[in-house]
Amino acid sequence: MNKPLARGHDSDMRGRRPRVLVVDDGITMRMFYRSVLEAAGFLVEEAANGMEGYEKVLTQAFDLMIVDINMPKLDGYALMQLIRGEPAVRGVPAVMISTEAGDRDAAKAYEAGANFYLVKPIPPDELTEVARLVAGVTVP
Amino acid sequence: MAASTAARLKDQSPAMTDEEYAKFCEFFYRKSGIQFQAGKKYFVERRIADRIEKTGAESFRDYFTMVRFQTTGEELQLLVNAMTVNETYFFREDYQFDALVDAILPEIARTKRPKEPIRIWSIPCSSGEEPYSIAISILERWSQADTWDIEISASDIDSKILHAARTGMFSERSLSRVSAPLRSKYFIPRPDGNFQICDELRESIDFSLVNVIDSLQTHRFRNIDVIFCRNLLIYFDDVGRRETVEMFFDALGPGGFVCLGHSESMSRMSSIFLPRKFGETIVYQKPLSVE
Amino acid sequence: MLTTAETPVRDLAALLDDLSAAEPSVRRAAARDLAAHPEAAMPACDRLEIEASPSVRAVLLTTLIHLQSPAVAVRLAAHLRSEDVPLRNAAIEALQEMPDAIAPHLQDLLADEDSDVRIFAVNILGALRHAQAPEWLAEVVRSDPHINVCAAAVDALAEIGSLETLIDLENLRRRYDGNAFMEFAIDAAMRRIEGQ
Repeated sequence: MNKPLARGHDSDMRGRRPRVLVVDDGITMRMFYRSVLEAAGFLVEEAANGMEGYEKVLTQAFDLMIVDINMPKLDGYALMQLIRGEPAVRGVPAVMISTEAGDRDAAKAYEAGANFYLVKPIPPDELTEVARLVAGVTVP
Repeated sequence: MAASTAARLKDQSPAMTDEEYAKFCEFFYRKSGIQFQAGKKYFVERRIADRIEKTGAESFRDYFTMVRFQTTGEELQLLVNAMTVNETYFFREDYQFDALVDAILPEIARTKRPKEPIRIWSIPCSSGEEPYSIAISILERWSQADTWDIEISASDIDSKILHAARTGMFSERSLSRVSAPLRSKYFIPRPDGNFQICDELRESIDFSLVNVIDSLQTHRFRNIDVIFCRNLLIYFDDVGRRETVEMFFDALGPGGFVCLGHSESMSRMSSIFLPRKFGETIVYQKPLSVE
Repeated sequence: MLTTAETPVRDLAALLDDLSAAEPSVRRAAARDLAAHPEAAMPACDRLEIEASPSVRAVLLTTLIHLQSPAVAVRLAAHLRSEDVPLRNAAIEALQEMPDAIAPHLQDLLADEDSDVRIFAVNILGALRHAQAPEWLAEVVRSDPHINVCAAAVDALAEIGSLETLIDLENLRRRYDGNAFMEFAIDAAMRRIEGQ
C-alpha cells in the first residue's frame, strides 16, 4: 500500500454511503465484490464489461471503481484510458484487478491511470482496506 | 399432456425463483441488449411461464437449457418478441429529440462547413412517427434550423408500412403527445377523425426501402451525421448486430452519432463507437479521425 | 440525396489488394466483402495479425465468424497469447461465435501450460452454444491446478452448470477450504444451479 491518494474527500462523503462501481465480466466475481463492499458500507453498482462501465461512469457519480483487466468489448486498461481522458469523470479513483502476479500488468495498470493494483484471488479484508483507502473513506 | 402441464404451471407459482430470475436476466441482457428495470419480475415471469407452457418444457431449468444451447436461436427470438412492446407514437422517448436539438446538432454545426447538409437517418422508421417527430423537433426547437440544409432519410424493410409512412395518416392515439398548436401547424384533420401530416413535411423526408444487412441497399448512405436506430438491434443475433453496427460506422461521417432505444445499449455489441452523454441520454459517436 | 454510386462487384484479387489500402474505410469494405469468399479466410487471418485499426479489426472478425472453420479457429486461438489485450479479447469474442470450429481445439487450450490461456479457453467455453460445454467445464473444475482457472470455470458454471456438476463444485470447495473468495464463488454458483 505504497500509493497514497492525492484526493482525500472525506468531507464530501459525510452523511452518505460511498458509491463504488465494480467492472468485471465474471458474475461470481461481481457478486463477491458486492457482498464484501456492501458489508464495508459501500453502495455497489455493477458493469459486465468496460463499455458498460464507461457508460455508468458517464451517467452516475462514483467514489471508487474496481476494474478487472481482461474483459470483452473494452478491457480494463482501455477503460481507464477513456475515463482519464474525459474531463467530466477523470478524477474517479480506481483499483485495477488482474489474474497475474507479475510486475508487467501492475506497471501497465498504473500507466493506464490506476490508483492501486490487486491480484486475484483477493481476500475480503484486503479488498475492504484497499477500497476504503483508495476511495478516501475514513473508518469511524 | 399440454393441459396437464398448464395446470401444473398455474399451481406452482412463481414459475421461477429469485436465483433463476437473476440468472435469466443476466443471460437475456447479454443476448438481446434488453435490461429489465427493477419491479419487472412479474412481467418477465408471466411471459416465461407462457413460453414454458407453449414449448412443453418441464420446468424453468429445462426451458433455460433449451434457450441457452439452441443453435438456431429461434426460441430466444420468440422470447424477445414476447418481452417487447412494439408501439410507436409521436415523440416517443422524446428526451432523445431534446438531446438532438439541445446538444447533438449544435455540436455537429460547430464543425460543419456552411452549405454542407446535416444528414439524419431514421431506421427502421416504421409508420413514420419517428422521422416526423425528428423534423418537428428540429423546426420547433433548434434555433439554427433555418441556417442549415437538413436532410432526413427514413427507411424500413417493410414496404407496406413504408407506404403508410409516406401517406402520413395518423390516429388520435398516435398524436396523444402532440400539443394543440403543433397539431394545427403540422397536421390536417380528416373527416374520419384521423390526422394527415402536412404536405411540406411529408415531402421533406426521403423514404426508402432498406434491409440493414444488405450492403447493396445501405451503400448509398454515406456521411450521415445522426442515425436513429431504436428497438431494432434487440431483434438480431450477435452476428447480425455486429454487421449492422459496422454498417452504421461506414454510413456515418467522422464524429457522427447513433441513437438507440432507451432500454438498449451498444456496450454488449461493439466497442468501435465512443459512448457520449448528452442530457439524460447516452449516444454513440464514431471517432472524429479513424486511424 | 446522398451518393448514388453503385457498388462494383469485385473479385477476390481486388479485395485482397484493398485489404492493405491506406484508407481504413477501403480496408473495412474489403474485409466485409471477403465474407462471400471462403478461400479468403487465411488472408483475412493474416491481415488481422498486422491490422492496427479497431474498426477494421472488428469487420475482419465478423467476416471470420462467417468463414469459420477449425483452421480459422486455430489461427484466432493463437491470439490468446497476444500481448495486445484488445485483439486478444476480440479473438475470444469471435471464437465464442464458432462452437463447432473451436470445439476440437479446446482440449489443447485447456491443457496449455500458461494459466492465462486456460482462463481464456474457459471464457470461450462459458459462452459457447455447445452441448458439451458444461461437462468440459466440470472437467476443468475437477483437474485444473490453478485457482484462477477454476474460479473462471465456476463462474461459467453458474450459468450453464447442471445438477450433476454440483458434486464437482462441492469437491472443489473442499479443495479451497478456507479461501474466502472461492467459498463465496462456489456457493453462489451452486445456488444458481440449484435455482434457489
